[in-house]
Amino acid sequence: MTKGLSRQKKRDLVAYSFIAPNFIGFAVFTLIPIVFAFALAFLNWDGSNPITFAGLENFKQLAGDVFFKAALKNTIIYCIGTVPLTMIASLALAIILNQKVVGRGIFRTLSFFPYVASLVAVTSVWKMLFHPSKGPINNILYTYFHVPMEQLPQWFTGGLVLLSMILFSVWKYMGYYMVIYLAGLQGISAELYEAASLDGANTWQKFRFITWPQLRSTTFFVVVMLTINCFKVYDIAIMLAGGGSGELTTSSTVLVYYIYQKAFIDWKLGYSSAVAMVLFLMVFVVTMIQFRGQKKYQ
Amino acid sequence: MKRKVLSLILAAGMVVSLAGCGSSETQTQAPAAPETQQAPAQAAPETQTADNQNAAADTAGGDAVTLKWAIWDKESTPYWQALVDAYKSVAPDVTIEMVDLGSTDYMTVLATELSGEGSDFDVVTIKDVPGYATLVQKNAILSLDDYISADGIDLSKYAGTTDQVTVNGSLYELPFRNDFWVLFYNKDLFDDKGVAYPTNDMTFDEYDALAREMTDTSFGAQIYGTHYHTWRSAVQLFAVLDGKHTILDGDYAFMKPYYEMVLNQEKDGVCRKYTDLKAEGLHYSAAFSGGDVAMLNMGSWYVATMIASLESGEYDADLCGNWGIVKYPHAEGVEPGSTLGTITGLSVTTASDTPDAAWEFVKWVSGEEGAAVMAETGNFPAIMTEEAMSLITGLEGFPTDDASKEALNVSNLYLEVPYAENVSEINSALDSYHGSIMSGEMSIDEGIAAMNEAVKGITN
Repeated sequence: MTKGLSRQKKRDLVAYSFIAPNFIGFAVFTLIPIVFAFALAFLNWDGSNPITFAGLENFKQLAGDVFFKAALKNTIIYCIGTVPLTMIASLALAIILNQKVVGRGIFRTLSFFPYVASLVAVTSVWKMLFHPSKGPINNILYTYFHVPMEQLPQWFTGGLVLLSMILFSVWKYMGYYMVIYLAGLQGISAELYEAASLDGANTWQKFRFITWPQLRSTTFFVVVMLTINCFKVYDIAIMLAGGGSGELTTSSTVLVYYIYQKAFIDWKLGYSSAVAMVLFLMVFVVTMIQFRGQKKYQ
Repeated sequence: MKRKVLSLILAAGMVVSLAGCGSSETQTQAPAAPETQQAPAQAAPETQTADNQNAAADTAGGDAVTLKWAIWDKESTPYWQALVDAYKSVAPDVTIEMVDLGSTDYMTVLATELSGEGSDFDVVTIKDVPGYATLVQKNAILSLDDYISADGIDLSKYAGTTDQVTVNGSLYELPFRNDFWVLFYNKDLFDDKGVAYPTNDMTFDEYDALAREMTDTSFGAQIYGTHYHTWRSAVQLFAVLDGKHTILDGDYAFMKPYYEMVLNQEKDGVCRKYTDLKAEGLHYSAAFSGGDVAMLNMGSWYVATMIASLESGEYDADLCGNWGIVKYPHAEGVEPGSTLGTITGLSVTTASDTPDAAWEFVKWVSGEEGAAVMAETGNFPAIMTEEAMSLITGLEGFPTDDASKEALNVSNLYLEVPYAENVSEINSALDSYHGSIMSGEMSIDEGIAAMNEAVKGITN
């Protein structure tokens, strides 16, 4: 049966047959839908009636859509807030917990715990802690800092809701990125630090000239992953700011929520795909810039 | 070489096993396909007999039909099974197979199920109007006009609700359940304070004054005069009861007085704060059954919950056991008994192979016999017959005072959401800005201006 095939072809066949199980699943459930979504952005479709051509109409509509603009703005603010803060927090944690401190195993576990805990459960706890009238945080502000009752911060509405989301996200995900940084830190040769000590370098100089440059590829990975995950935010917004029927107001809506709403509540699959394209483009451009930056420093 | 052959066989085995997974799926679907193909053949004689005898119920000896029916929360909602059981005695040849899609995302899941080809639902329950509009636009449900005129269904029995869901002159659902909003109140709290009970004829000013009179803000003995759930309907839709405005108007300035009333009540501690309710996710039933809320505006579905929860001991009878209902407050110069309604309807899918049998079921459930079954389980049927009314007011645990019985007489019923082409998007926009106004993110004027702007963008 295999007589007619050359050795190389046989090898290829074996390789393809190993790739096939995964790739077929990927193609059917991920690749084709993604390609279809690209096409849908230029079409009108409600999932049942015949597809009609829309051209750039969906994108033109975006410009005048207040909910889209609010979602775009909120998503960008959330990312600008979350990415650097999480990176700094996780790096600081990793550096501290990489030293020989008593009970560092416990502290490492504790910092990783928020990442493991169920998001729904911990958002409920946050909502209790930050409850506008009964929460301990506002009660401390009221009792010890004498903030008048009417001026107590409303953590889940208005201007503060994005801050709450950012703080929550940093707290929840810094443990995960800390582990990645810890691995990076342990890959740095101790000889470098010894040599620096002999040359009389202080702690800051050791960090500035050894740790930071040695961690560059780790930082690159962390920042890329963080950026992509931040643009995808949905669950945190719904859980912290979702209203009576789960809807988000213009101060807390995010792009992924709006994509879902337009696609599966209003059944405007074309329009929703156009929003998704904007999200894709943003992630793509930001990641490309980061790749460029990474290459330049290497 | 041997090893290579082995690896080839192994790899081939994996591919085959994967293909096996796929084919087993098609195999499980395979028996279904001939069945659906057979179904029309089976249905055909039945429809003929149905036409001849003018009722599927009488098709004794006709072939068996199975109808697949989409519902939600089968375990916690007693009437689904009660309707199926009762229909079994009327039409023994028809098997109703219920499929529970859950209540949380019911209409979204249903719309997904009915998108494209391959759906095998025959009858679907319609939970809300935005979802209904979606299904109509998707051509997923049949126009019932021909059936309605052929069987001589009198739509006037549905108290005008069917007019509000008519699409370009056609009706795609027939309601079987009709809930309307009333004012629940805790008699013990009124007795303690020596204040007269609310009445069936209260203007909004009188209601506001009464709520304020009942309020006690002293620490530890706090009583809220009234309570509003976080839904838009609970606050904003007071405004549509004058019969002149609807949520489809496009200019929402008429809602301002009602937002002012509620936000002022919030400020004075007459009701719980929206932001608090949202943060703690407090359910209205928990609020009212806690015994510190004097009045609650809520749909009539809560009547069945009150009765059942007090009977089971889930609610403490000392806190909320002595309750009553009165009609919704009304605007100055408007007839008392004008209130908001929500209908639950049944539709026949376009994908159904046995639409005639499905229609017979829809007709029966939405008719007077179905109404009696609904009333026996404490629910409000769409056709409010004398019999259904006395069944509900006669239920063990229903308030015994005359005012509570009188409260069930509705004069004008306005659907929370009437049909419009873009109603789903309008609904989302109004929901969102309702949240903005109630949480103080926007002033009332800003919120209303934003609503006007957003809806203008949708309808243009």
